[in-house]
Formats: sequence, C-alpha cells, structure tokens
Amino acid sequence: MPVVEFLQFTLGGIVFGMVYAAIALSLVLIWRGTRLVNFAQGGMAMFTTYVAIEVIYKTHSYWSGFVIALAAGLVLGAACELSVVRPTLNKPPLNAVIVTIGLLTVLEGLAGIFFGGQYRSFPPAFSITGLRVGGTPLGVSRFDVFVAAAVLVASLVLAVMFRFTSAGLRMRAAAFNATIARLSGIRVARVLTVGWALAGLFGALAGVLVSPSTFLYPNSMDAIFVYGFTAAVLGGLDSALGAVVGGLILGLALSYSGGYVGGSVGADLTSLVALAILVLVLMIRPDGLFAGSRMRRV
Amino acid sequence: MSSEADPVGVPNHADLRDGAADHSASLAVEGLVAGYGEVIALDGVSVSAGAGAITAVLGANGAGKTTLLRAVSGMIKPRRGRVLLGGTDMAGRSPEQVVRAGIAHVPEGQGVIPELTVDENLRIGMMSRRAGKADRAAALDEAYGRFPPLAVRRRKLASTLSGGERQMLVIARALLARPRVLLLDEPSLGLAPRVMAQVMDLVVRLSREHGLTIVLVEQNARSALSIADHGVVLNLGRIVASADAKTLAADVALRHHYLGF
Repeated sequence: MPVVEFLQFTLGGIVFGMVYAAIALSLVLIWRGTRLVNFAQGGMAMFTTYVAIEVIYKTHSYWSGFVIALAAGLVLGAACELSVVRPTLNKPPLNAVIVTIGLLTVLEGLAGIFFGGQYRSFPPAFSITGLRVGGTPLGVSRFDVFVAAAVLVASLVLAVMFRFTSAGLRMRAAAFNATIARLSGIRVARVLTVGWALAGLFGALAGVLVSPSTFLYPNSMDAIFVYGFTAAVLGGLDSALGAVVGGLILGLALSYSGGYVGGSVGADLTSLVALAILVLVLMIRPDGLFAGSRMRRV
Repeated sequence: MSSEADPVGVPNHADLRDGAADHSASLAVEGLVAGYGEVIALDGVSVSAGAGAITAVLGANGAGKTTLLRAVSGMIKPRRGRVLLGGTDMAGRSPEQVVRAGIAHVPEGQGVIPELTVDENLRIGMMSRRAGKADRAAALDEAYGRFPPLAVRRRKLASTLSGGERQMLVIARALLARPRVLLLDEPSLGLAPRVMAQVMDLVVRLSREHGLTIVLVEQNARSALSIADHGVVLNLGRIVASADAKTLAADVALRHHYLGF
C-alpha cells in the first residue's frame, strides 16, 4: 500500500533525521563559538558510546550506561577543547581544522586499542519490534520513538537555556561578538569550553541512540558524522533551529531515496544523495537555509 | 530614525548623583609601549587622567589613540610601561579582569550586538558583577530610567536602533558594569551634529554628576576640547602636547599642525 509505505518512510526518516540533528547541533555549538568545524565530533561520539557499552556490560543497566555516556561526552568535549584546540585559537584557522582531524585519528586509534576493532552490537533502551496501529505496521519501534523524543527534548532544553538563562546569553554574546563580550567581563575562553562540553554531550547522545542500528566499531560514526555535517551545512552552521530542520530534511530525503529505489541500489544511494544535497546547498545557498549572520555582513 | 524624539535622552540627575566623586579613581599610563607585530603604535606614552575629570586624547588617524585605549583595557598586552588605576598596576591583565577592576571600554563603531535585543545587550553589561536578581533588575530599571528611548525598545533587536540610540545603548551597557573609569572611543563618530552634541552633553553629565573619570578619544578635536578638562595630543605614537583643554584649544600653531582646525 503506497500510503502505508510513505508513512513508514516518513517516520523512519524523522527518527534518523533527529540523530543527524543531534550531530548537527553539536557542530553548530562549536562553530558558533570558534568558527571551526569539529571533524572529531563523530570520533568523540564513538568513544563515549564505547564507554556506555562497557558500563552497560558491567552494571547490566542501560540507563547508567546512557547517563555516563552523556557525562563522558561533556568531559571529553571540554578536555579536547582545553588540551588541543585552545593552543590553536590564535593561529591560522587551518591549524585548528587539522588538529580536529588529528584528534579523530587518535580517538579511533585509541578505541581500536582499548575496545578492539570488531563490530559490537549495542543494546536499545526499548523494544525494537515495530509498532502497529490497528494492524498497520508503522515502520518504527518504541525505541525509535524514544530516539526522536530524546533529541527533541535535549534540543528544547538547549533552546530554553540559550534564550532564557544568563549562561545562554553569555554564549550568544561571545559567539556574536567576542570582543564586546570580553570588554563586558564575559570570560569568553570559559564559554568556549562550555560550548565544546555541550557539543560532546549532543554527540554522545547521538552515538548512544544510533548505535543499536549501526553496530559499534571504531569507524562506526564516520558516516553519521558526514550526514550530521550535511544537516548542519543545510541549516547554515550558525543556527540551532537550522541544524534540527536540516537534520529532518536530510533524514527524510535519505529515507525516501533509500526506500523507494529499494534493494541494494537504494542502500548505496543514501550516501550519494547526502553528497548531492551537500554540493547543491554549497552551490546554491552556501549560507544555508537559516543563515543568521547575513544581517551583520551588510 | 526617531527625529523628533530626543535620541540620546536626558539623564536623570537623581540617578546620576548616587555614589558620586567618592567612587572615582584616577587613571595614569606611564611609559606605555604597545604595537601590532613589527609595528610600534605607542612609543613610551605617559598620560594622567585625573579622578572625575574628562581627559581628551586627540590626534590624526594612526596616531595611536585607539591603541592607547586597547592597551589600557587589556585588549592588547603592552610591551612595556604601567597602567595605574588609583595606584594599582593593571598592565597585562585580560579585558575580563580590567572591567572587573573598574575600567569600562566603549570601543569605536559596532559596539552593539545587533543580533541581540536591547535588553540582552544591556544585561551583558552586568556580567562582570556579582549581583543578586533584585540588584540586577534595579540596575536595569535605573538604566532605562536614564535612557527612556531604550526602555521603549527593550524587546526589539539592537539592529533596529538609530545611530544615536546605539551609542546610548553602548554607554548605558558600560555604565551597568559600575565603572570608575570610562574609556570612550569616538562616541560621536557617524552621528548627526545634533545627536553628537547630545552625546557630548551626556559625557559631561557623567563626569560632573556621577564623578566618572573619562578618557575621551576623538577625531573631532574642537568638540572634544570644548567639554574636556585636560587634553593630550598624540602623533605617531608619542605625546606631542599635554595641557589644559582651554590652553590646547587656544594654541593656534598646535591646532593647525596636529588637530586640523
């Protein structure tokens, strides 16, 4: 039935789209503060997901693994910023980019040494059997609903924090105009560290949520990172709302193309479609759909 | 543009008088050397800004006026020399520390953050202070009382403000840090003459009634000297004249040579 099929592809697209949105948000958090694309974001997420799986095996509790992964994301994000990114900040921008690529290599290497290179299955929080409404399969499971809801809630909390708290105002001020922020007494360096920590948290969330569908191995987040990056560029890299909408658009586009083309061709097509979207956005609308900085460029 | 409304606002005397002269502090710069890379922009500059007075820093483009303010507020690290705030050396401290010590720097040009609302721009001014919620609210109310045009637009983006209102906003934000010394870089730049006169009037009130020590960097030497107590003239990174503002304004040779009027 075409209608049911469409519904299934749409719901599936939204679920994966929210994972891409989480990665995109983590990239936006760092971009806004440091004007830097963190190529290690996927590697950081992979690493914290390994932390989660080890904790789950030790404690037999999914939720302690989940919470500790998020905490590890915060710590890892802050640690990366303080240790290797901070020294590059007053250097040419390419230095920082190379450092994040180096960081990715190190994290993937360390994961291979500590946790091994084999594919490991990661448990979901809830049942992964498909939900049905009156006998009609929806194509998504209880866990998929949790995935979408978790990212949505985290994004809303972030939005409220940015809009209504003093810490959020400090982050926005530092992102828009670091000089004014510093002259007003905002410790911009500290704000950047907080931004990296939050980015680490969103990456960790994405890693824990996506790994039940992808298996976990040292390179498992590479493709997810590329999709998240595409979503962030789609949203303009500067806008948190843009990141979420970009994630959803990409998730739907990949779900439809993979679903309707079908078979192994459809599966192979997804990365091509993502690449095509990335190229198109950069060609036609390089500021993204939600460019926020145009006002300043006048 | 609000042409009929008073774009700079009339400061309320009662608001300005609280904690006058006793909070003010003198600022002295001694033998300051600063620059960018190979370029020496300040070459052994000494300036003394008396407590509660207006000191005008004059000179042509590239004389080192802006660099002087940047070195005082910590935006660039001086290579040599001292920056004394009431006797304490501030040289080499970060801008975050300098503003906490009581020196507020209003930089030239784009001082507002256009992506934030007027209210948010003002709240940024209190980030350097440890103050409770009630104190913050009271300080904001006081700022809005002092600058009524800002109160009307508090929920609007700062990008919607006119030039005069923007200048008002950045000065109001600097005052929220409760500074003892205010560094103003070209506050009249790009403003219509009438608005410019109002900004100058505000600067005078801040000094006379609030006891603020003010260092005023201006290209427009004539109007700066008309409100200043003391003036210094910078040329290629060195002080070439330092005197009473009236004396400087009366020195025809100096005016022709360095000040262009």
